[in-house]
Amino acid sequence: MRFTILDVAVMLGIIVPTAIITTYFLLRYRKTNTNAAYDPHWSHSNLIELIVWAIPLLTVAMLGYESYKGTYAVNPYDPRMIKTKTASAANPGSAPLNVDVITTDWQWLFVYPKQHIAVANELVIPRGTPVVFHMTSATVVNDFFIPNLAGMIDVMPGMRTKQVLVADKIGQYRGYSANFSGAGFSWMGFKTHVVSSAHFTHWIQSIQKFPRHMDYAQFNKFARPTTNIDGKTPAFSHVHARLFDQVIKGVLDGKVYTTRMPPPGAA
Amino acid sequence: MMVNVQGPWSPLLGRLSLGAIPDNPIIAGAFVFAAVLGAVILGYLTFGHKWGYLWREWLTTVDHKKIGVMYIIIGLVMLFRGFIDALMMRTQQVMACGPHSPGFLGAAHGYLLPYHFDQIYSAHGTIMILFAATPILVGLMNVVVPLQIGARDMAFPYLNALGLWLTAVGAALIMLSLFVGDFSHAGWVGLTPLTEIAYSPGVGVDYWMWAIQISSVGTTLGAANLIATIIKMRAPGMTWSRLPIFTWTALSTNIIALTSFPVLAVALGLLGADRYFGTHFFTAGLGGNLMLYSDLFWIWGHPEVYFVILPAFGMMSEIIPTFAEKPLFGYATMVAASFAIAGVSWSVWLHHFFTMGAGPQVNTFFSIATMVVGIPTGVKVFNWAFTVYRGRSRFDTPMLWAVGALFMLLLGGLTGMMLAMPPVNYSVHNSVFVVAHFHTMLMVVIYGIMGAVNFWFPKVFGFRLNEALGKRFFWFFTAGTIMVFIPMYTSGFMGMTRRLDYLSNPALLPFEIAEEIGIGFYVVSIYYFVRQLYVSIRDRATTRVGADAWGSARTLEWLTPSPVPFYNYAVTPRVHARDELVWRREQGLEGATVAHYEDIPMPKNTPVPLIIGAFALGLGFGLVWRIWWLTDVSLLAIIVTVIARSFVRDTDYMVKAGVVQETERRLRRNAPEGSREGEARGGIDMFRPHESNP
Repeated sequence: MRFTILDVAVMLGIIVPTAIITTYFLLRYRKTNTNAAYDPHWSHSNLIELIVWAIPLLTVAMLGYESYKGTYAVNPYDPRMIKTKTASAANPGSAPLNVDVITTDWQWLFVYPKQHIAVANELVIPRGTPVVFHMTSATVVNDFFIPNLAGMIDVMPGMRTKQVLVADKIGQYRGYSANFSGAGFSWMGFKTHVVSSAHFTHWIQSIQKFPRHMDYAQFNKFARPTTNIDGKTPAFSHVHARLFDQVIKGVLDGKVYTTRMPPPGAA
Repeated sequence: MMVNVQGPWSPLLGRLSLGAIPDNPIIAGAFVFAAVLGAVILGYLTFGHKWGYLWREWLTTVDHKKIGVMYIIIGLVMLFRGFIDALMMRTQQVMACGPHSPGFLGAAHGYLLPYHFDQIYSAHGTIMILFAATPILVGLMNVVVPLQIGARDMAFPYLNALGLWLTAVGAALIMLSLFVGDFSHAGWVGLTPLTEIAYSPGVGVDYWMWAIQISSVGTTLGAANLIATIIKMRAPGMTWSRLPIFTWTALSTNIIALTSFPVLAVALGLLGADRYFGTHFFTAGLGGNLMLYSDLFWIWGHPEVYFVILPAFGMMSEIIPTFAEKPLFGYATMVAASFAIAGVSWSVWLHHFFTMGAGPQVNTFFSIATMVVGIPTGVKVFNWAFTVYRGRSRFDTPMLWAVGALFMLLLGGLTGMMLAMPPVNYSVHNSVFVVAHFHTMLMVVIYGIMGAVNFWFPKVFGFRLNEALGKRFFWFFTAGTIMVFIPMYTSGFMGMTRRLDYLSNPALLPFEIAEEIGIGFYVVSIYYFVRQLYVSIRDRATTRVGADAWGSARTLEWLTPSPVPFYNYAVTPRVHARDELVWRREQGLEGATVAHYEDIPMPKNTPVPLIIGAFALGLGFGLVWRIWWLTDVSLLAIIVTVIARSFVRDTDYMVKAGVVQETERRLRRNAPEGSREGEARGGIDMFRPHESNP
């Protein structure tokens, strides 16, 4: 956010005067205004040339430096980022929570590997604790995005990406897939609940009692193309210990969870 | 070795069957519209006995001006098609916002099924970039560049016509996909692995792929042609330092095209191999790498952005000095800036996938490279501002569009600088904020194009477009732009993702309603554009212009009569200054006539490009539907035609000096006050047939 404000401020500082000057020139030197000077040959000035190159050059130099700083500051692969994030959070020093994110056509599966539970289309995280996401897709590319908590990061089949966040405020947040992934894409949202640590522990325990287990066979059923129109959030206990790696291996071996499409021509 | 596709296949018709014709009331409506329009045109051609005229003067022509006009017509038709797509998308989103939105016609929300909506936005993007903006710009360059440099035609007139017809084939394939089969649902960028056969088993992706592949062969040929023309065909005295800015931008643009379109051809070729031969270049598994496609696509895709915007900069640089009645400020830096933009355009493509998860080193490099583009662009804006300084500005329609483009560029530049910063980009990437940003930049192109069309129309056709209606078109269009894209920026910042068929967040509804109203303004503006064309053509007798249609034109093309005779210049002009016409005006040479005419060699008309185009259409259609006999016959026919044409030696003819003299006399007499008797022979006069070239 800081970078957005800085960037907009700097750019407005240049663009607004430019727009005003251009408008002023256009109006003052209009043909009908006979009072304005007319110089039919003037087309060059070293001083002005120097200024018009210097202004954008300096702007870009400055914004470029800020961009460099900012890009390093929000790099989820940098372990220091977790420390910085935690320091500002309500619950400093807490151990990070790991969540594996697997997207299918067109659902989200959030696996909590240490807790052996999985929830679809619903993410629950404790306040003030750094959460480390490992992400992959079982089918096509999606994009993990919680506008008020975490920036976008691609979720790609056969590949892993990472995101880190610390939520400061208890509440509900909307999460989306931001990268088009097929007909069910518009319904590919997920609810994000930020809860207190006590609430979170309680929630984990309740899910651990759920009767449905998530082994690889169950995952194959789960990953069949499903448009999640009614926002269903099935939960699973006893998650297969290496489900995330298993999914990646399946994709690399060429596994396709068939997307049923209308035959050619059926719009 | 061929991939097995689902569904029935027959040797005669491939995958094509009656089931391929969509059973959908919306498409049926479009079909009725197209059929009625087609019948009216065919009826007019037949009963007005226009077939011969159409064949001689247009279909077989190699005249760069007519080819340019046909490019622009194709582009405008596709622009309209693309706009209808936009109208449908806006209407869908306003209807499908909030959990209780209606589902008409069997749709879950709104009135379009997701699969249909996805095809519409994919078609919108593909059409607007590749089949509207690109042909119109290529058309304008075709018309203007040879005139600006004092040439008789392009370096390779026959190749020029071939480029046109290949572009037309691409457009035709896209229009066909509306009524036979379907179109890609994976965006105009062709998101892998969604475009792979496992996830897109239908023919939609094939239509998309072959339409682009065939038309981009045409664009590549056109680029080679324009580069050769600019380098080799300049009139004596037209040194590099006197070259008009539009020609300079045309040169930089076509260098981009010639070097980047082959990359696209490779990317789509590999995708085609995946889809047809079962290779795994871009699949997720079995050794494929889907991000490789993104890389290849955007190595073409980002330079393509500058391919469309640089000519628009060139147009602004011609229009603003003409109506400010002053030379362009900072000619040398304008040229340098154009080439700087073209050069840097090659090192910014990765900003299209900042969110891929690349390290901060990579993202920082591409962030700063992207920002660097802002330096020469900023310089251009300042230079235009100082061109107006101490000038005498008139606000004729072309000037309005050019100034509008300048302000669009300021807004697009601001948001572009935001997107270039990865920390900001992570929160708005793939949102409608990005969509609003690149539409603002494409508005620079559209504003430039509309300015250029109004600006050069009298040069090509000999009469002006109606000013009052043109201004009304401009203001309604601008109102539409503001009403559509300001709300889009806002909702994008609120986290609204692009390509949504259904919007679950009801808070977005007010923005959607504002955008729908904006689309309404666009509809009104299109009405005024069509009316402007109609009224201008109807009243053409009263709006005839002389060689210099605006009275303050500066460059060489305004030296020839309007409309320009088919040979362009009776005698190749000698160039004395950067703003040749101003120089001649000041020397009192404006009305000087040629003392001695000579025979002029001109290229002959030929139907060969049209024939190759027809076979290319067969090839594309056969490939889409996997009708192998059709592809084989078409490909063989293209090869045979090309070889046969290479044996034709008799490709030129002489225009006798007397004919040139007579034509010039008539055209000069046909200036503003002149009566309509003695319509120019050989000039572009599409509204009255006349005898063909000897």
